[in-house]
Amino acid sequence: MDIILKRYKTERKELIHILHEVQKEYGYIPVESVSAISKYLRISESEIFGILTFYKAFTLEPRGKHHITICMGTACHIRGAPKILEEVQRQLGIDAGETTPDRMFSLETVNCLGCCAIGPVAVIDGNYYSNITTKKINSIIKEYKKIE
Amino acid sequence: MKIIIDKKEIIAENNKTILDIARENDIYIPSLCNHSKLSPYGACRLCIVEIKGRKGYFPSCSIFPEEGMNIKTDSPKLKRLRRNILELILLEHPNACLICGEKENCDEYKSTIRKVSEVTGCVLCPSNGTCELQEVVNALNLKSIRFPSLYRDSEIRKNDPFFDRNYNLCILCGRCVRVCHEIRGVSVLSFVYRGSKTTIGTVLDWNLHELGCQFCGACVDVCPTGALTEKSKKYEQSPDRKERTICGICSMGCELEVEIRNGRILSCYPRKDGPVNEGQACVRGRFALKEIVCHPKRIHYPLIRKKKKLEEVSWDEAIDFIAEKLKTYKGSQVACILSSQVSCEDSYVFQKFANNVLKTKNIGTIAANPDLERFSQKSDCELMSNFRIRDISKAKVIFLIDSNVSVSNPIIWIEILKAVSNGAKLVVIDSLRWPYSRQATICLQIKPGTESYLFALIAKLLLGEEQEENFPNTEYFNFYREFLSKIQMSEALEAIGIEEKEAKKTAEILNEDGLKYFIFGSGFTQYSWGISNLTSLWNLSLQTQARVIPLTFESNLKGVLQTSRPFSAMKKDFAEIYKIISDGKIKALYSNGPIPLYSKKSIEFIVVQDSFMNENLMVADAVLPASTFLETEGTFVNVEGRIQKFNKVIDPLGESRPDWWIVAQLGKRMRGKGFDYKKPSEIMAEIKRKIPEFKNVSYNQLKKGIEIFINHKETGEKREEKLTPLKLPPLLMDINEEYPFILLFEYNSDIYRGFVLNREIKGMKLIRNSRWIQINTEDAKKLELTDGESIVVESELRRFKGYVRISEVVPSGIVLASFLSNEEKDFSAAHMMFFSGLKTLPIKIKREC
Repeated sequence: MDIILKRYKTERKELIHILHEVQKEYGYIPVESVSAISKYLRISESEIFGILTFYKAFTLEPRGKHHITICMGTACHIRGAPKILEEVQRQLGIDAGETTPDRMFSLETVNCLGCCAIGPVAVIDGNYYSNITTKKINSIIKEYKKIE
Repeated sequence: MKIIIDKKEIIAENNKTILDIARENDIYIPSLCNHSKLSPYGACRLCIVEIKGRKGYFPSCSIFPEEGMNIKTDSPKLKRLRRNILELILLEHPNACLICGEKENCDEYKSTIRKVSEVTGCVLCPSNGTCELQEVVNALNLKSIRFPSLYRDSEIRKNDPFFDRNYNLCILCGRCVRVCHEIRGVSVLSFVYRGSKTTIGTVLDWNLHELGCQFCGACVDVCPTGALTEKSKKYEQSPDRKERTICGICSMGCELEVEIRNGRILSCYPRKDGPVNEGQACVRGRFALKEIVCHPKRIHYPLIRKKKKLEEVSWDEAIDFIAEKLKTYKGSQVACILSSQVSCEDSYVFQKFANNVLKTKNIGTIAANPDLERFSQKSDCELMSNFRIRDISKAKVIFLIDSNVSVSNPIIWIEILKAVSNGAKLVVIDSLRWPYSRQATICLQIKPGTESYLFALIAKLLLGEEQEENFPNTEYFNFYREFLSKIQMSEALEAIGIEEKEAKKTAEILNEDGLKYFIFGSGFTQYSWGISNLTSLWNLSLQTQARVIPLTFESNLKGVLQTSRPFSAMKKDFAEIYKIISDGKIKALYSNGPIPLYSKKSIEFIVVQDSFMNENLMVADAVLPASTFLETEGTFVNVEGRIQKFNKVIDPLGESRPDWWIVAQLGKRMRGKGFDYKKPSEIMAEIKRKIPEFKNVSYNQLKKGIEIFINHKETGEKREEKLTPLKLPPLLMDINEEYPFILLFEYNSDIYRGFVLNREIKGMKLIRNSRWIQINTEDAKKLELTDGESIVVESELRRFKGYVRISEVVPSGIVLASFLSNEEKDFSAAHMMFFSGLKTLPIKIKREC
């Protein structure tokens, strides 16, 4: 934690950058880090908490090793995104916003990724998968499971 | 500039919002999130207006006037929009009562139905009709809501002391968040989560007291709904009268409004028009006051020791008994202790009695800054009253030294914060790191007792020939220059424990132009090196043309010191009185404050005049019940020298009487002259004749709100004070293996006479217990101590007990205890301190077994 903080100036505007780096490093924002950032940047803990709960990029609970995002925007929605979501939920045995008990996968929905032309879209660990179907997503997840 | 609002031509100032201007001109615009003391926010959108020539609707709370603006605040379209908005706001607020057809018929019964904790309508709401949401609903004449209502079903937060938070009633106006952040600088509350889940909260919904909230109550006072409500007032009925008075606990002099029903205090609010506090207060005045006045420890009847037991007697018997006894002692055998929390009138009569009737010269007051008065006299400077609280916000540079200012002098802290938000640079110099220091530009965490080294070093860095003219006497300047030239940079830095660049930056800040203030608290003067600290700071202030402000705690310390002027009796501080008593010369003691006794020593007869029972009274031979400041009238002089009239709010409890009345009775009984007072105004008339500082005081004028100050010296006047020769104090005694910690102490500012707020009141104990011994996190880990554990602090000669408080305030190697003159012997850090001659001590910590 200290190593991360040392890289930044003790100014208010660095908060989001620090949070991003903590999220990247730990996969989530541990509560202890909120206190540490609060002391370093001299911002109250509640303010930091307010900011980190506002942005979806930050999570307070650990995410899985592989993070799956399924677009539920209007375009993806009418092209069958809900069906795909259901399939993934069944496959992993978790609801959107949850993480599998073995911490391998976490699932999340977003309301638009901005690439409606190639919908329905799923993003796994930053890789975009376009025009997916239930079949396709099944094999992709299986692929990921196999790697482990 | 000229603008037009609703066809009315108005001359407007350009730094005021349209909403403010409209309100000043009696034009009503509904609004919920706006608050006159807070920055514009534009959250509720109810204050929208139309501007001719511009498209759309504008929130009047966040736009400023422009030449020739033509504004319409009311139109059918605006009405419809506002109603729509209000409907949406009310969607998540229990609204059945707000739009109920039987509303008028229900008013009578509202306050009797309120016996539930879950609020689902106005009839059950603890805010009891003082609700801005109700006002707005009435003003917009909203009769129905088209949408289905949505109850958030959020759990009511009841784990904090003093107030509850019910976010089912919250309309997310953000006032509490803003007041906490902008005015108090605490930022404990914040908006959390987002979208429809947005609520006001804290980190993971932790309790406020765990996050350092000091319960000033500012958020409760600005809440427009019943979301934040005072616990103790929840099930009370509405008050039958309201009285205004001055809070007499600390030296700020906040003006309060007290709500009363059937002679009982329901609640105390800070008044928005209070000249000092402007709608702010702190936990003492806002919440604790009510508990103090009717605390079970109040003494209701005079007591006399008969057969080793204190027994209730009549006033006549008590006065006879005491007068008889006191007559038998010579003046030099009697000591008197005067509380600095009694009114000027009480203090005058008490000193008159001590001087003219008892003929003693041993009169002491209890002050956190005993060296201050001595220094002021010696160097012939008016340290005590040379500032106005309001002026602090205009400062460009503020040095805040050794003070827990946000707790001990909250109003001063609010002004400092105003200055900081106006761009002032705040330098905090302290060996402790208080939570407020995060607002500082630079925070110098120095080693204890090295303040004078630091100031000498800064002086050396800044010294230039041109500063010579700042000094009244060239000889002194040469002497000063020579003294500074001897200071070695590296040695001084080592002693202080800071880096060179920090010192240089501090000097740089101090070299800037503009109004500069040095503000210091009791920690600066309470130790044996207080005089060196004062001298070095004083010299630096001459050199840099900064103003020096000493902070005092006690509500009327200045008044007590001023009223002692006509009497030849020597003013002594607590340590001196303690010494005189320890020497065994004193046979009788008469105190209207706490008594510095842990054993009776040679004293044969002790009279205590106090409002509260405490352990120390158990050695008293007679106890006289005094009224609190809410049960009598009189005047206080606050920290800036403002004379303030406080009023009688309720009748004296039991047989208790005002201090002046009790002393006058004793005076008369002992055949003293001039004790025939009938009311405090007669005493004030006498004070006016005797003491020139009070010559402008008039109860009537004070009542009308005319400002009267004790000292009319204007700030910024050229000072003619002398430079004082400086000697640096020896550095602290080294710690050793057996005694590895250094004990520092903090003056406890939460006392009212013999009553210790943060020991007796449950809520205050939770936020700042007087028996806490604060230890650094790492030290606690090493010693395997946990929060709240009972420990013993031992120096070579003495010991005392307390409870562990793991905190970030103290650096590693330092332990902080609270200093209280009337604590039980077992828990008294003060005892150890007096014994050591007010030096810090090497100590060790043991678990209590």
